[in-house]
Amino acid sequence: MEAGSKNTGSAGGAEKKLLSVQNLRVSYHTYAGEVQSVRGVSFDLEEGSALAIVGESGCGKSVTARSIMGLIKPPAGEIKPGSRIFYRGEDIVQYDRKKLEQYRGGECAIVFQDALAALNPTMRVGKQIMENLIAHRHMGKQEALREAVEMLRRVGIPEPEKRVRQYPHQFSGGMRQRVMIAIAFACDPKLLICDEPTTALDVTIQGQILDIIKDLQKKHRTSVILITHDLGVVANIAREIAVMYAGMIVERGSSEDIFYRPRHPYTWALIRSVPRLDDENKAELESIPGTPPDLIDPPKGCPFCTRCRYCMDICREEMPENADFGAGHTASCWLHHPLAPKVEMPDYEKEDRQ
Amino acid sequence: MVKYIIRRFLEMILTLFLIATATFFLLEAVPGDPLTQRADKLQPQSRERLYERYGLDKPVLERYLLTMEGLARGDFGESFVYAGQTVGGLIQSRLPVSARLGLQQMILGVGVGLLLGILAAMKRGTLIDYLVVGLSVLLISIPHLIFGLMLQKIFAGTLRILPTIGWPSGDELWFGGWKYTILPTLTGCFSYIAIYARLLKTSMLDVVNQDYVLTAESKGLSRGAVIRRHILRNSFIPVMTQLPMSVAMCITGSFFIESIFSIPGIGQYYVTAVNNQDLSIVMGETVLLSLLYIVVLFITDILYAVVDPRISMPGAGK
Amino acid sequence: MQAEKFIIRGYSGEEANRITRPTISYWKDAWRRLKRNPVAMASLAVLVLMAVMVVFGPSFRGMDYVTMNFSTKNKVPDSTFWFGTDNMGRDLFSRIWVGARASILIALVATALKMVVGTVYGAVMAHFGGWVDDLMMRIIEVINSVPSLLVTILIMMVLGNNMFALLVALSITAWCNTARQTRGMIKQLRESEYVYAAEVLGAGPMRVIFKHYVPNMISILILDASTAIPGFIFSEAGLSFLGIGLKAPEISLGVLISMGQQTMDFYPYQLIFPCAVLCVIVMAFNLLGDGLRNALDPRLRQ
Repeated sequence: MEAGSKNTGSAGGAEKKLLSVQNLRVSYHTYAGEVQSVRGVSFDLEEGSALAIVGESGCGKSVTARSIMGLIKPPAGEIKPGSRIFYRGEDIVQYDRKKLEQYRGGECAIVFQDALAALNPTMRVGKQIMENLIAHRHMGKQEALREAVEMLRRVGIPEPEKRVRQYPHQFSGGMRQRVMIAIAFACDPKLLICDEPTTALDVTIQGQILDIIKDLQKKHRTSVILITHDLGVVANIAREIAVMYAGMIVERGSSEDIFYRPRHPYTWALIRSVPRLDDENKAELESIPGTPPDLIDPPKGCPFCTRCRYCMDICREEMPENADFGAGHTASCWLHHPLAPKVEMPDYEKEDRQ
Repeated sequence: MVKYIIRRFLEMILTLFLIATATFFLLEAVPGDPLTQRADKLQPQSRERLYERYGLDKPVLERYLLTMEGLARGDFGESFVYAGQTVGGLIQSRLPVSARLGLQQMILGVGVGLLLGILAAMKRGTLIDYLVVGLSVLLISIPHLIFGLMLQKIFAGTLRILPTIGWPSGDELWFGGWKYTILPTLTGCFSYIAIYARLLKTSMLDVVNQDYVLTAESKGLSRGAVIRRHILRNSFIPVMTQLPMSVAMCITGSFFIESIFSIPGIGQYYVTAVNNQDLSIVMGETVLLSLLYIVVLFITDILYAVVDPRISMPGAGK
Repeated sequence: MQAEKFIIRGYSGEEANRITRPTISYWKDAWRRLKRNPVAMASLAVLVLMAVMVVFGPSFRGMDYVTMNFSTKNKVPDSTFWFGTDNMGRDLFSRIWVGARASILIALVATALKMVVGTVYGAVMAHFGGWVDDLMMRIIEVINSVPSLLVTILIMMVLGNNMFALLVALSITAWCNTARQTRGMIKQLRESEYVYAAEVLGAGPMRVIFKHYVPNMISILILDASTAIPGFIFSEAGLSFLGIGLKAPEISLGVLISMGQQTMDFYPYQLIFPCAVLCVIVMAFNLLGDGLRNALDPRLRQ
């Protein structure tokens, strides 16, 4: 049983959704062999909502993001047959180049982690925004330039008239990330993917950037997929969270569910590894022992079993099914099987709020 | 910018001065006397007069100062072997020949090389890619010298469809007389093809993997626009660094090509002068060719800053 | 489903940290990649063959390749004279291997000279820094402001047409590049965080040098050598052809090519054989160099 296989519905069911990813499998062919970066990921995204995908580096978050943008490049990267990514009912995996070009940038935009690397060093910042406008909104040069200045103003860059004529290296890290956001929002996309947008930034800047994203999301009614390894970043923006591990979604639910009623041992460990100022227990900050499995040869059982303190024999042998806890909260873990012993969740979150 | 250029210019003059000095004293150390051959047959008085005429009767230091003064005035000296021939006159008659040969090779070689490089990078992993890579290894492994001799042997010797030696002159100095220029140009252009094809291909593959190309693609730009605006321009930056090397290659290549095809250019003359121990000509030409090379280095630096905005020139004022 | 499979056992630390992909050392990995490259391995085989021929080739046919013998003048290749004879009746097959021996020897020694001078000079620059570095860098810049063949020719004029002169002349400019690379590498490593970390953790200078500097230097030097060797073979041939390198009684590929050119209209084989051997050697070095570059470049590792 594939994790999340219950979602393998028809395209018809997906039509009301903005985005519906179904059984996405992506591999990279390397010298060492085929790395199965994403192994059967499925999720839906409603219009105007925000989903966070959380997980360690190398768990397939970024590859999922790139697949949705249609940026998996053969021959190294391969989207496996049977994978479907429906955008407004159309499968973008099947898109030809022309349609993909209209979709990218126009319908769907992405903000990368490292803005210095993601901006063309030899092109003026203004032109990099204008490119987008000219390609999708068919503007003339003058009009596009005015719009580019406006976009820079909107993301909070001072003196935008002067800044449009500068090159990326003349901007600070936070300003560069604002430029990236301006580029992404230039054509008013319906879907915005933020791939670790604040990881490379100072903590003080992180909040500003997240506020800009949140603000623009509200104004433009854009759906956002936020990809991060930092649970602290998530709470602020996303109403829904998917926890990824070793190329799969191991737990998925509303942010309340994930933060206050997590069901998967990996999520527990993840939450305990986030430093909390309000932690009254002053419990020790936990780290997750070991490393994720090598996806060249993924384990046949639960991928987390080698690092899970609740690991059982069954975990090593078979992939757990998705247990449903209602209201869209699912987790794939054998602990929720009727035969499994009842494990007390760590109690650190029970007392406060709710 | 202006400040930077002025500083670089002063540095250039200093470098040139050092090169001239080093060359002068190196040639001073050459065993034998450049006038021996000519002077042998002369009467003692005539011999003295000859030495006097070339200033060889004066002590080394004085001659050094005189030479330097001459260079500063743009007087590169006079041949020891052929009376009355000056380096200045030589440049006028021979430089255009070498310049045309050099330009033809470079335009053809760099142009074809860049095209093949783009082709190989775009068609990575296909037969075209392997052919281009194979061709460039082949071309880079065969020296000018052998290419020249083989082409001469085949097209001029065996097939007799092109002239073996010679070069257009007079009205055809710059334009025309193409059949004389075909073989020498081909000989020279092969190494440019090899070098530039490889270089651009490597550089493009490097750039293709950069995040900003991904950004460009995620904007939904057409493939052509991504290549033109984002990949090519950035790929050309490392290619530019090869410009001085290419000019050096052109200069040294001219020694061989002009010798093989008996082309009356400065390269052939340099080789002749070396073999004749015509020291003043060697001195003058060394300084002249170095000057040319230094100017190219200088231009490259400026071009580099123009193409890559990240390189800020000191004193550019930001 | 059996109930006994649902007993919590937890994980073992060893299991959690297990890395399934075997870790291979840099050099083992490089060698593995090189071995997988058929072109590079073929080049290596050709070079080994060439090395054998260069050592044993001349005595192979047991012929005198020095004394002139006009009774066997300009013989075309046959079963006695595999590559024919030259215009003084000497066996070309033997002469070519003697010539190749000289050419390769010159290239190897010049490369060794360049490496030693270059690394020492570069290390001194990086070590002292400051005005010493500036001054030494200026010297390199001045040398690099002259097309290198000009310097080589000038040195040959001073020292005359002999083997020693040629070695000096060839390596006199070539070391600059090695020196620059060495300097850059040492400076970069010294500022890199992992070397700093090693020092903080108490690694002695010897350990830092051998663990970090040497391996990085070696791969740079290997790549440097793999481009330098064919370059020197070219230069020797070219200089000798122009009459500025070695001269006739001496035998090198350049001398043979230059002699072959004089008779190429009538006896083309006298030109073609030495040219072919030169090209094969140079091409093998170039292809092996390419393979090494792919094998050693950590950016290409996956």
